[in-house]
Amino acid sequence: MSVVDAPLAAGYAVEDFLLVVAAGFVVLAIGMLYRAVKGPTMQDRVLAVNVLGTNTVVILAILGAALGEPTFLDIALVYALLNFLMAIAISKFTVERGGVL
Amino acid sequence: MIDAIAPVRLALIVVFGLCGLFFTFVSMTGVLRLPDVYSRAHTASQADTLGAGFTLAAVALAAGWDGAGFKTVLLLFFIFVTNPTAAHAIARAAFEEGIVPWTEGDERR
Amino acid sequence: MADGGGLGPKGGSVVVPIESTPTLRATVTHLVESAADGEFSAIHFVVFATWREGDPEAFDREASVDRLLERVSTWAEADLADVDDVDVGDVAVATTVVGGDEYLFGADDYVRELVAYADDHGIEHVVLDPEYTPVGNTTLLQSLEFALSRTDLVVREAPVARPTRRERLRKEATGIRFAAIFGLSLAFYLALGDPFYPFDVVTGVASATIVAVTLSRVSLDADPSLARTPMRLLRGAVYVPALLFEILKSNVVVARVILDPRMPIEPTLNRVRVIVGSGLPVTTLANSITLTPGTLTVRARDGNLYVHSLIPWARDGLFDGSLERWTRFVFYGREAARLPTPRERDDVGIFQGPDATEEYPGARADGGSEREDPSAASSAANDRDDDSDTADGEVTAE
Repeated sequence: MSVVDAPLAAGYAVEDFLLVVAAGFVVLAIGMLYRAVKGPTMQDRVLAVNVLGTNTVVILAILGAALGEPTFLDIALVYALLNFLMAIAISKFTVERGGVL
Repeated sequence: MIDAIAPVRLALIVVFGLCGLFFTFVSMTGVLRLPDVYSRAHTASQADTLGAGFTLAAVALAAGWDGAGFKTVLLLFFIFVTNPTAAHAIARAAFEEGIVPWTEGDERR
Repeated sequence: MADGGGLGPKGGSVVVPIESTPTLRATVTHLVESAADGEFSAIHFVVFATWREGDPEAFDREASVDRLLERVSTWAEADLADVDDVDVGDVAVATTVVGGDEYLFGADDYVRELVAYADDHGIEHVVLDPEYTPVGNTTLLQSLEFALSRTDLVVREAPVARPTRRERLRKEATGIRFAAIFGLSLAFYLALGDPFYPFDVVTGVASATIVAVTLSRVSLDADPSLARTPMRLLRGAVYVPALLFEILKSNVVVARVILDPRMPIEPTLNRVRVIVGSGLPVTTLANSITLTPGTLTVRARDGNLYVHSLIPWARDGLFDGSLERWTRFVFYGREAARLPTPRERDDVGIFQGPDATEEYPGARADGGSEREDPSAASSAANDRDDDSDTADGEVTAE
């Protein structure tokens, strides 16, 4: 049973709190973007993008709960899978130059 | 009965959400401040996993088991398995490329 | 010119353009062996400077090229030492950076630089690393070979194979593995969908069949044992809260270090030999080590884990081996957990920093020293499998 609509404090509900947390994650994601752009090595970028991906998954999950959109969670699951695959594939690709498997 | 545990549940949602934000902030600070790929991979795999774990736990508590909560727990489990694996893969790629870990006194940042 | 031994005329010098590639190690070995057979008397390893003096990143790139050349000459020396009938003095090894005055654009530019270098040093031969692609341009090698064929230089490609582990991945297909994968993927599918909705059941069975047919030979390397799995799951259920507590505890410590403005970190790379089985147990252990803040598994090979630690506190925790003990407990039961810790067994090493006890292992430099049989040179690079060949320290319980 969902408590998203339950009042929390000062007239704000749980969903408002969750949205604030999501906003905080967006701000943190912007900070991480610096590393993705700056590098300096390829691995740094992959790492930063991987962290950004995890952040995106969390934001999607929060929004899914706060806005009452359960389908967001399916998207988050697929995003997490792709994020993992991206990190593994790029790491293997840079080491073995195309011999991914 | 339900009324008795409801405040605890709400408090846990708030605490978990704030803990999640805090550890993700630590992760971001680490990714920005630490000197080389290996040490950045530390925070990327650990602080970030914990941050995501706390936040997803808060989401699962808020959504309830019957609704989206189950999938959120699945997602949480999945992140806990894949995040360290991805960090390991990246660190290994860096090692194979011959990147030597930063040590005290090394100028490179 | 002929030197009586029937070896044929003593060859001239050879120039080898290099870059950091997976086949570089084997190419160096091949060249040294060719030189030992009397084909060449001097080997010049050259790197094309793809930057120009004064570029903003010139310093960094120069440093990384210098590291590469240093590594190559170390390898060549090690290989020369291995070849018995040649004194190191007989074969000269030189390493150089060419270019740097202007930007190099196409294959022709590279060939022009190479020919100029060859002329300067009286070189007639070129050997190419099969994976060699200047500046990572994957289409360049063919045209580089073509452009080289129009010069007077004698060109050939080093007969070394790219390391591949394709055959390793394929395991035997058995009914029980098929059933396990099928059951798991069907359960996952239905957990996401609705188990009571016929459409989901039908599509779930179809996709689980596809997954099981394609992946049952890849994802499991041993039959899941019906007798042990439930016990392992139970003990795993005990392990997870313990691990979570551990993660939380050390996360607070590491968070303080990171948020501290002075940031007193002291990162080192360490080696720890672990006695857990191969495959799933070592994967579990490596993942647990990575999840515990302050330690990060970089590499797993031959029962050794190369672990990067952020602060000495985390390194000490690693050497105390509580996670290793837990992993043994989960997979083999209580008796196996009582083995001594890595520190007591003296199976640990620190590669960097003030307390260093062992020499830093180059990325693939191990091909030179650990080699027992000659064929292992090319398979050494092949050996970088995460978790399927770490079987030395297998613990056998019951």
